[in-house]
Formats: sequence, C-alpha cells, structure tokens
Amino acid sequence: MSTTSRRALTSAFVLLFSLGCCFSLLADEPKPKPENTISLQLAEPVPAQKFAHPPKFWIADVVDRSGNPQPMLVLKARGGIFLDRQPMVILREALEQSLKASGLLAADANGADLTVRLYIFHFGLAEGSQLDYFGKVEFSAMVKNPKSGQSLEVKAAGTSIASGAMLKKNLQKNVQGNMEESLKDAIRNFLRSQQLKDAVAALQQGSDVTPAAAPPQ
Amino acid sequence: MRIFSGIALAALLVISSPALAKDKNAQFKTVEAKHFTQAEGVELSPAFADYFYAELRNELKKEKMAEDVIGEGEAVEDADAPKSAVIVGTITEYKKGSVVKSALIGFTAGWQSMKMDADVLRRSDKQKLCTLHIHTKMDPRWNEKLMAKAAAREVVKGMRNELKTQPQ
Repeated sequence: MSTTSRRALTSAFVLLFSLGCCFSLLADEPKPKPENTISLQLAEPVPAQKFAHPPKFWIADVVDRSGNPQPMLVLKARGGIFLDRQPMVILREALEQSLKASGLLAADANGADLTVRLYIFHFGLAEGSQLDYFGKVEFSAMVKNPKSGQSLEVKAAGTSIASGAMLKKNLQKNVQGNMEESLKDAIRNFLRSQQLKDAVAALQQGSDVTPAAAPPQ
Repeated sequence: MRIFSGIALAALLVISSPALAKDKNAQFKTVEAKHFTQAEGVELSPAFADYFYAELRNELKKEKMAEDVIGEGEAVEDADAPKSAVIVGTITEYKKGSVVKSALIGFTAGWQSMKMDADVLRRSDKQKLCTLHIHTKMDPRWNEKLMAKAAAREVVKGMRNELKTQPQ
C-alpha cells in the first residue's frame, strides 16, 4: 500500500470517528416529547397576607433574567424532563391565580393601584446532593405606583427538596412535585413577605402624600 | 383468631398514639429559618447556603417543630409572634479534609468538618431560647451538600433536645 493511500485511509477513519462522536452527542441531546413533558400548576391558590388597605395589583410584565439558554429543560439526564410552558408564563399564571383568589387582582392595568414587573433569576432544579433533587424558584418584583411613579423592589424565593427515583416515571413525578412545591413556596414568600407589606404601605402613602405635596399649578 | 386481631389492633393503637400526639403538640406556631452567614475564611460554595437553608426547612417540617414553617422574611401576625421562633446562625469553620489521610490512616482521620453556631430566638422580643453549637464531620470524598443535610438534621435534633428541658 502506498503512502498516499495509507494517508487517505487514516483520514477517512478520523473523519468517520469524528462523525460518529457528533452523532452520538446529537443523540444524547434530549428532545421534548409528550411523555417527558410536565405541566406545573398550583394545586390551590396561595392566600396572601392581610393589608391595612388592600391594593389591586396588576402584573405588567415578566422578564426571564436567569440566563438559561434552555429554560424549559428542567433535567437533562435520563432522556430529559421538559416544562410544557415557559417559566415566565407559569409564574405569571400562578401569581395571578393567587392574587385573584385573595381579591387583590385588578381587572386591567388602568384599574390597578400597583403594577408589578417580575424578573426571574432561577426557575428549575439547582445543584443538589446528587441523592435528591433541589428545586428553586427565585424572582424579584418591582412594585410600582403608577400615579406617583415610585417603585420598590421585593425579593422572593422558594425551595423544595425531593428524593430521587430509579424509574423514569417516578423521577418525573418527583421532579414535578418538587417544582410545584418550590413555585408555591416562592409565591407564598412573595405574597406574605414583610418586604411586600412595607412596600405597599410606603407606595400607598406615597400616592396619598404626592398630590398634597405637589406644588400648586 | 379474634384474640390475635384484638391484640394486633391494640398494639397498632399504642404505636400510633405518640405519633398522633406529636402532630398536635408542635412547639411553635411558626418557625422561620434564616440563611446562615459564613464567617471569614470559610470556603464553601455559594450554593451551599441555599441548600442548607432548604434542608433546614425540610427537617423542621419533618420533625413538626411548628404548625407552620415559614420562608425567610415572611410576615407573622402580631398575635402569633410570642409563639413563633426564628433560627439564625453562622458557619464558623469549615475544613476540607484530606482524601489521602482518610484513605491511608482511616478512623475518621482527614475527614472534612464543619462547625456552626445557631441561635433560636423568640420572634416577639428576640429573646434567645437556646444556643446550639454544631460540629459535623464527614468523609472528604462526599459531597458538601450531604454535609448540609447532616448539619440540618443536627440543628433540629439539638433544638428539640434543648427546648425539651425548657418550660413553655
């Protein structure tokens, strides 16, 4: 065999090997299918804290600041587990559901006393002990009084730990339960936080005071 | 057969009654666990504090220390404040350990260790109900999150033991 043909043979082997690697990597990348997709929703709305003067909230916008390139992929291992909707949609729906149940949701933006802009920092599983799954939902809310233009930040976080499982079906069930628990915990942490109570009091006072303090036209 | 069934039922009732009584006798109305701070020189990953906080809350729920285990920064009704507790703490020391020492010497030599101080405060007046000094040791090959799990269990166990001796 000549040197040229030997070289050609080696190159062909290298090419085949690299192609094989690429294909195996592509095969490992999980794809969303109905059987590996979970739907997150609150089992029941989270009751909000009692305010001295209950305001009407309106969720103006939800922004994903997590920097996650695949926000719907919850777990990459074992064929992957995907969310059926974007975390922004899930969070918005869950919060609206709880606000509505507590009678704190405005019918539209114009009827709202306070508008809320949500920034998601984490939605999904975080690094756990490898024996269990650590679910974490973390977001920040900018609560704004549209009349005075004043706004204050309220932070919220929810965590949950669920055990691992051998069977894929059980694993999916555990991850779903874990994520729902951490979502509920985060919403509860927001709706019952002292920060929100103080922010609402300050913003309501701001709207009462601003017209009186404004210079006469 | 009937006698045997009767004995089995009686035994089941005797076994389950303390468990039922434990559910009703939660020591606090609410308990809030704060994120533990890390003293200078403690080199733990940033995710550790989050994971330990979650584990501590998990253990508090499991042990039924309170009727409600609330999240950090949640508001509590004024009426419930005297019967509510807050757990604050600091991780004072963390030693990574040595895999070589652990493998060659054995007998817990070279194990990673973590020390933490925790205070259980009454929410209404911030009075210290108990102080805990926790020291956890573990094989250096194990994940630090497992250390968090063990430490959280120790905190809750210590809290239960300390508070048992105090008048309510």
